[in-house]
Amino acid sequence: MSDSLFIEIGTHQQQKHGEDCFGDTIYSKKIPEERRIISILSDGLGSGVKANILSSMTTRMAMKFVESNMELLRSSEVMMDALPICQVRKISYATFSIVDSELEGKTRIFEMDNPPHIFIRDGRPLNVKCKELSSPKWKDRTINISQITTQEEDRIILMSDGVTQAGLGNKLYPLGWQRQGCLDFVLKTIKKNPHISAHDLAKAIVHEAIEKEVEKKAGDDISCVVLYFRKPRKLLVLTGPPFDEDKDKEIAELVSYYDGKTAICGGTTANIIERELCLKCEIDKTSFDEKIPMSSIMEGIDLVTEGILTLTEVYRMLKEGIDKDKNNAAVRLTRLLLDSDKIDFVVGTKINIAHQDPNLPMELEIRRNIVKKIFRLLQSQYLKEISVRYV
Amino acid sequence: MEKLTVKICSGTSCFVMGAAQIQALEFTPPEDIADKIEIIEVRCMNHCKDIDATHRRGPFVMVGDELVSEATYEKVVNKIREVLNKDCK
Repeated sequence: MSDSLFIEIGTHQQQKHGEDCFGDTIYSKKIPEERRIISILSDGLGSGVKANILSSMTTRMAMKFVESNMELLRSSEVMMDALPICQVRKISYATFSIVDSELEGKTRIFEMDNPPHIFIRDGRPLNVKCKELSSPKWKDRTINISQITTQEEDRIILMSDGVTQAGLGNKLYPLGWQRQGCLDFVLKTIKKNPHISAHDLAKAIVHEAIEKEVEKKAGDDISCVVLYFRKPRKLLVLTGPPFDEDKDKEIAELVSYYDGKTAICGGTTANIIERELCLKCEIDKTSFDEKIPMSSIMEGIDLVTEGILTLTEVYRMLKEGIDKDKNNAAVRLTRLLLDSDKIDFVVGTKINIAHQDPNLPMELEIRRNIVKKIFRLLQSQYLKEISVRYV
Repeated sequence: MEKLTVKICSGTSCFVMGAAQIQALEFTPPEDIADKIEIIEVRCMNHCKDIDATHRRGPFVMVGDELVSEATYEKVVNKIREVLNKDCK
């Protein structure tokens, strides 16, 4: 994909209070061959498992249809026909918002019954022209289609009605937070932090919505998707000493000439860079944690951490979510990964003899394996562009 | 008087073998030695990679010039007191 533009997709969800299951579903996919990204948010009728099934089916079907460029009206009819009928309400129903974006700039947004999207350009809301379509078969359902050529620093925000209706029942918000309330919050947040990542913005919106709720308990499923069009943020992750010591110098040069942020994961690796580039390195005591070794501060390097334990913890957090109240080395590395779009891993394959001691815990994985798990997750779940080089 | 430096290895294998507990020295050192020591966390000192010395295991801590292997909080505190007493004599 081109260096010129990148689409960062950030999502955040909170299920209705008391439910185990999300009633809204978010599904995003990158189609690298077509330089295209599709992101779908669907809200299923009701909440809990039933809503989850309806919205999951809708996103999966919609993805197939959009991906294969099938005619939209026909696709929506098929979707509505296919959804199971709710026993209570006697209708089959799930809403959707779909963003189909090509990296060259053409973006189409299809919406049915979700709150209208928010489009932000130059820190201001932009009303994108839209066309209405309705199916002869399902007359009461209309689909809005908007098309726009996106530019750098544009943002598209999709939300379920849990966001706009947050606060219903709260005397301060008799009509709920509403789209306008959400929009004002988004503008304020972007003004304060113009480069806020899609991930952080989506999270902030959902948290703010929960703040409005009575007793801060989500009255409905609250979901938000943010698409942020911008120059890719690059990150180099260097982990492990090269198999061949002659490569030490080459690796160090890679670090000093890299045009983005750099992270070093591994004590020995840090020692090599420290030696080759004559840099000073000090342990950063503010990252103290009982389970994860502390990070270090090295001039010109954004983060220096221990290797395998930190990476294992990073993998866990990428799967289960970041530990909000911690600021250890693993949390810092996870944040750095999530805030980057293009991540270049350079993995040294030298085996650490000390880690082969059978007395050490089983969790001490081989570096190559844990890095493989991490980059696959970053690719599939977080849609990052990844390159890996073994040295 | 110059403080006694205590270097705690925070490399991976030392860390999993218990160096994290020894780091408590930094935040809650016993009163008698509190102002006589300086704690420095260091990255791997390569003692663990010395395969010829298999009888020695981490965590490794350097108390002044002396190496403590299979270190525990108590073992390190005792070593610190021993070195400090030696210096006094």
